Amino acid sequence: MTMQTINATRRDFLKGSGALSFALLATGGVAVLPSAAEAQPLPDGKVNAWVTITPDNRVTIMFGSAEMGQGVSTSLPMIVAEELDADWSMVASQQVSTDPEGVYGNPMAGGILFAAGSSSIEGYFTYLRQAGAQARQILIQIAAAHWAVPAEEVTTRSGTLHHDPSGSSMTYGEVAALPEPAWPSGEMADATLKPRTDWTIIGTDVERLDIPAKTTGATEYSIDVDLPNMVHAALLLPPVEGEIPTLTSDTAARAIDGVVDVIVMDHAVAVLARNFPAALAGRDALDVSWTETSPYRHANSEDELIALSGAVDDMSADAVVWESRGDGQVDFTGANVFTGNYTTEHVYHAQMEPLNAVASVDADGMGAEIWLGTQSQTASIMIAAAVLGTTPDRIRFHAMQMGGAFGRRTVFAREQMRDALLLSRASGRPVKVVWTREDDVKNGWLRPATVHRLDAVLDAEGCPTALRHRVASPSIFQFAMPDRWNPETRLDLLVMEGAESSDYAFGTFQAEHVLVPRQSRLSAWRGIGWAPNCFARECFLDELAERTGSDPVSYRRRLLAGSPRALAVLDAAVEMSDFGNAPEGRAHGLAFAGYKKTLATGVAEVSYEDGQLRVHRFWTAIDPGIVIHPQAYRAQVEGGILFGLSSVLRERSTFSGGRIDQSNFYDYEPIRISEIPEMEVQFVDSGEPPSGGGEIGVPMTAPAIANAVRKLTGAAQRHLPFPGRA
Amino acid sequence: MVTLNVNGRTFEVDATPDTPLLWALRDDLKLKGTRFGCGAGMCGACTVHIDGQATFSCQMTIGDAEGSEITTIEGLSADGTHVVQQAWITEQVPQCGYCQSGQIMRAAALLAHNPQPSRQEIVDEMSANLCRCGTYTRIIRAIERAAQEG
Repeated sequence: MTMQTINATRRDFLKGSGALSFALLATGGVAVLPSAAEAQPLPDGKVNAWVTITPDNRVTIMFGSAEMGQGVSTSLPMIVAEELDADWSMVASQQVSTDPEGVYGNPMAGGILFAAGSSSIEGYFTYLRQAGAQARQILIQIAAAHWAVPAEEVTTRSGTLHHDPSGSSMTYGEVAALPEPAWPSGEMADATLKPRTDWTIIGTDVERLDIPAKTTGATEYSIDVDLPNMVHAALLLPPVEGEIPTLTSDTAARAIDGVVDVIVMDHAVAVLARNFPAALAGRDALDVSWTETSPYRHANSEDELIALSGAVDDMSADAVVWESRGDGQVDFTGANVFTGNYTTEHVYHAQMEPLNAVASVDADGMGAEIWLGTQSQTASIMIAAAVLGTTPDRIRFHAMQMGGAFGRRTVFAREQMRDALLLSRASGRPVKVVWTREDDVKNGWLRPATVHRLDAVLDAEGCPTALRHRVASPSIFQFAMPDRWNPETRLDLLVMEGAESSDYAFGTFQAEHVLVPRQSRLSAWRGIGWAPNCFARECFLDELAERTGSDPVSYRRRLLAGSPRALAVLDAAVEMSDFGNAPEGRAHGLAFAGYKKTLATGVAEVSYEDGQLRVHRFWTAIDPGIVIHPQAYRAQVEGGILFGLSSVLRERSTFSGGRIDQSNFYDYEPIRISEIPEMEVQFVDSGEPPSGGGEIGVPMTAPAIANAVRKLTGAAQRHLPFPGRA
Repeated sequence: MVTLNVNGRTFEVDATPDTPLLWALRDDLKLKGTRFGCGAGMCGACTVHIDGQATFSCQMTIGDAEGSEITTIEGLSADGTHVVQQAWITEQVPQCGYCQSGQIMRAAALLAHNPQPSRQEIVDEMSANLCRCGTYTRIIRAIERAAQEG
């Protein structure tokens, strides 16, 4: 990090302001900002700052990643508070909604506000430590000047500054209340960061700041926003993607009490009403005909699976190389070659809060106030500006707590916001667009179906000397982020990541992607590419081990010998589960699966009860580097394991004639409380920097269960979801 | 006009009797803690108490709810200190939080009728409510804690 200049013209910001604010600059340094009273106000009236200290000793810390349940509203501020030496009991946190000056963005996400791919803690960790440490350094210098003592003699403890030689002390709030603090000038070096042994906040299970409001119903999601004069919109969406509506009659709809207007859009017909039931009744009463020209009106998920299976086995099919190690040409046709094909079907996000948005467009049509639950404030603001043909500074954006996201609210969550904007502009009123659960299921942007073919050339001891992992699937990236899709390289990390299997030494190795045209709308799903890719690989390796008379642990230990961190989680999981010694009638299965730098091994214990698969227990040993909030991390892992188990049991979106066949939770039913295993999560501390926890529970789970079932029944499980009763 | 008794108060709601209670609570009475999840009685995010019974408010009309005592998450306790709410904080149950009003209301009704439920009774009762974040383990622990402390 570079030296940072404190702007001398801001030295008197504190006069009469009653609050200190620190902003972390894009370069990693700290700037001092004026308090709200004197600040250059941003369009939404907020002051651009990370930390605000008020005379009552309260410390408010901003956080950039959007809260969707993963706990960043607590864990990110913990990092700042640690280095600031704040009194945690006085800390509150506040969501960043806009970032016009580019100071709040996630360094791992190109500096934009974007929470996805388990990147928040990993991306912000060093950055926020420096922010907290430099803020603390500024407080020390002010106190030293106030007491006329050397800054080196001033220390901090839990929100209080001390000068032990003189016995002086004052709280951070008292600094904020100083009438004329001596502001440090000149260049500020990187502050010294605390050694890990001195941490008192990071690594502790402080109560999550977001939880009390979630037990009283007080948490506000965008679906809860109410505005004066607001109307509720229900949209009749195309039966097949891309079809265009022709309104035949809205007479019956308009006759319904409460219906305010019917608006025909390019891609939908909207009913605006004083309340949502009236909007729904109006929608039911519409008479609309649709074009029948969409290329997707013949889309069929059964056909797509057949096409994917054909493509993965067709060695003449064009394949994009994702990863290549060792010598290029390998003959995968010999007698010592073992092949396995694995399939994952489409899955839907099923976040509990149906997609929705609230927008109030300005009278001139060139600006708006928006309330949205989104994994990327930055992308949402850019899209909103594009929809209105305006500039981002005209968008007053409120990033709301999300009622679940799991990939559905990333850059892809634009349809409801777009429609709320268009309808608000057309009606001249604030509009809330709410999708029903049926809208949400039938217009899902699904994780694509994938078919994997793995080929291994085995040596005399049954170990691979060469391995190829071919994935056939449509591209998520090409569909969901077309402006960032590179048609030359055609690399789709959302599908392929994890297939590189970088902890394994397979001799010659290649991972490749056979791109097949999409038949449905697509997006990433919790676990992203790692979940399907690790499922295929870990099932395949277990089958190889069995075929060569080896056991799953020692077989993997040989292949992972070059990765001490991988071996550590493998060994820890084996030990904690007493792997291989399942009770009578049950079996254990194991899978090693990372997510980026986080490594894990999972063990499942299964049986069949009345022909029904039952996962009784699930153990996992995880090395995520430093853990900020162990309790919240465990919660993420438990949730990830249940996502994985749910994808094993029955999650499947199918479509025919371009229409998704499922409608609601009665035919797309995520896992319920009666189906969960006992879960045990153990951390393996490598001391590495933190590397995220949102996805890691997912990739290991399905293959561990599949391997346990194969052990129990002798039947390989090569298809997600499993085919059902044994 | 339908008269509703919600959280000990009486409200006149200007809506037809076939209006789902869920939407009257949310949009007319502005009690937003009761959530819309599925509209089909499949997820339980809209769970409230009707005369003490856990009920899907999306499946009950205000006409049918008239004359009953309706309790929402906002009326479970005056200040969020119901034993179930406190257990929910102690066990750090919520993640995204969206389903949790419904989970808490069902758990509170369960304990009111069966103060010492077995693990199996907890699971059977709570199977009506979905949580996509996967907080189920903590839900069980919190109910067991509330049963102990209640």
